[in-house]
Amino acid sequence: MPEFLSPVLAVAVFPGGLFALALGLLLKGIDRRVAARLQRRVGPPLLQPLFDLIKLARKETLVPETAVTPVFRGAPVAGLAAMVLAAAMIPIAGVYRPDPALGDLLVLFYLLAVPAVALMLAGSASGSPFGAIGFSREMVMMIAYEAPVLLALLAVAVRGGAAEGRPGCLSLSAIVDYQMRNGPLLLDPVLWPALAAFLCFLPANLGVLPFDIPEAETEILEGPLLEYSGPGLGLFKMMAAVKAVVVLGLAITLFLPNGPAGAAGLALFIVKCALFMIAGVTVTRTAMGRMRIDQAFRFLLRWPLAFGVIGFAAVLVRW
Amino acid sequence: MTLSLGPLLSRLSARSPWLYRINAGSCNGCDVELATTAIIPRYDVERLGCQYCGSPKHADIVLITGPLTVRVKDKVLRLYEEIPDPKVTVAVGVCPISGGIFRDSYAVAGPLDTVIPVDVNVPGCPPRPQAIIEGIAKAIALWRSRL
Repeated sequence: MPEFLSPVLAVAVFPGGLFALALGLLLKGIDRRVAARLQRRVGPPLLQPLFDLIKLARKETLVPETAVTPVFRGAPVAGLAAMVLAAAMIPIAGVYRPDPALGDLLVLFYLLAVPAVALMLAGSASGSPFGAIGFSREMVMMIAYEAPVLLALLAVAVRGGAAEGRPGCLSLSAIVDYQMRNGPLLLDPVLWPALAAFLCFLPANLGVLPFDIPEAETEILEGPLLEYSGPGLGLFKMMAAVKAVVVLGLAITLFLPNGPAGAAGLALFIVKCALFMIAGVTVTRTAMGRMRIDQAFRFLLRWPLAFGVIGFAAVLVRW
Repeated sequence: MTLSLGPLLSRLSARSPWLYRINAGSCNGCDVELATTAIIPRYDVERLGCQYCGSPKHADIVLITGPLTVRVKDKVLRLYEEIPDPKVTVAVGVCPISGGIFRDSYAVAGPLDTVIPVDVNVPGCPPRPQAIIEGIAKAIALWRSRL
């Protein structure tokens, strides 16, 4: 196989593209099933998100008269493309090392912002007042959660590099290597504040309760997604599925990447994704109601930011 | 392979019917029953793959309650236009079917099937949740044949 093909395959098939999409849909299915069981319901079949996608692909596409059509149609494609690329950057210990040319932690951080921007574009381009409300809420959320999570990421980066006498390491593979040698950072008390900041970021970034404010279907009718029908909505659902894999994969990379080589390592990665999904997303969203946007803004800029600052300072002091 | 793929995809898509509610001047009785089928664990319609959605553009099966008053007639027509094909309409309660106790009122523009095509009727004042779920199941079967 020619050398240049391997990053292409990584983006298109494994672990980006098809694999990430399949895993994301499975995680979403597990999430819905577990949430139903927590509410003592039967719940949908595990493959329900896949059925939803097939159905959406066969529906009619309606574009509102007030919409800016190129942006309206392009936004979901841009969001999905960014997430597929980001999924190829997540290392899986013993199974997959991303090509350094794909980028490091900071590139991943910027790619993670693209889905939110795509939703904002979609909301404002749809010409619907609910979309515009969703746009402004999405932007407020983004401002609130980006700073804490950046501090958490930098804390891990500095910790991983400091142990090797360097000022920090932004390479995800190097962070995984460091933990393979020295044990997972989950067990390192210095990084617990950073972990707490990341756990607050998880539901905020994935847009689930208590932070599904930009898409709140009971008050602004799913905001930016309101005017999307059929395939466009399906693309946004795919984007959300791959994004779940990227964010959960990032959590695993930063705090608990250890695993055996080969198929067992891959299976362990999937299990860890599911566990992070259930603990960080499903339980939270089943147990809580939706915050108002001002409450969420204040919460995110108080606790996660405090945890992030403490975590970053702790790491610097230890260094 | 290509021969069998089409029916298979229709069968799989039929497992994801999303529901949308329109209140066409209902007294809220039927809407409470609809909320019951959606929310309480006993009747969980999510196991059929159903999901209540807030936007008519996401909908597959429309549940319409109420006698269709003169005031909401145009709005209901507009909402109906905004639902992407293929779609199925279910009239919930006796009001959209015949006008119910409001049938002699000057404010009623119904019955519903004189204005938009109705596929399934679920009579009752209000219908029991079991009847609504049966109506939804019939609507799913119809919808599947249109996919």
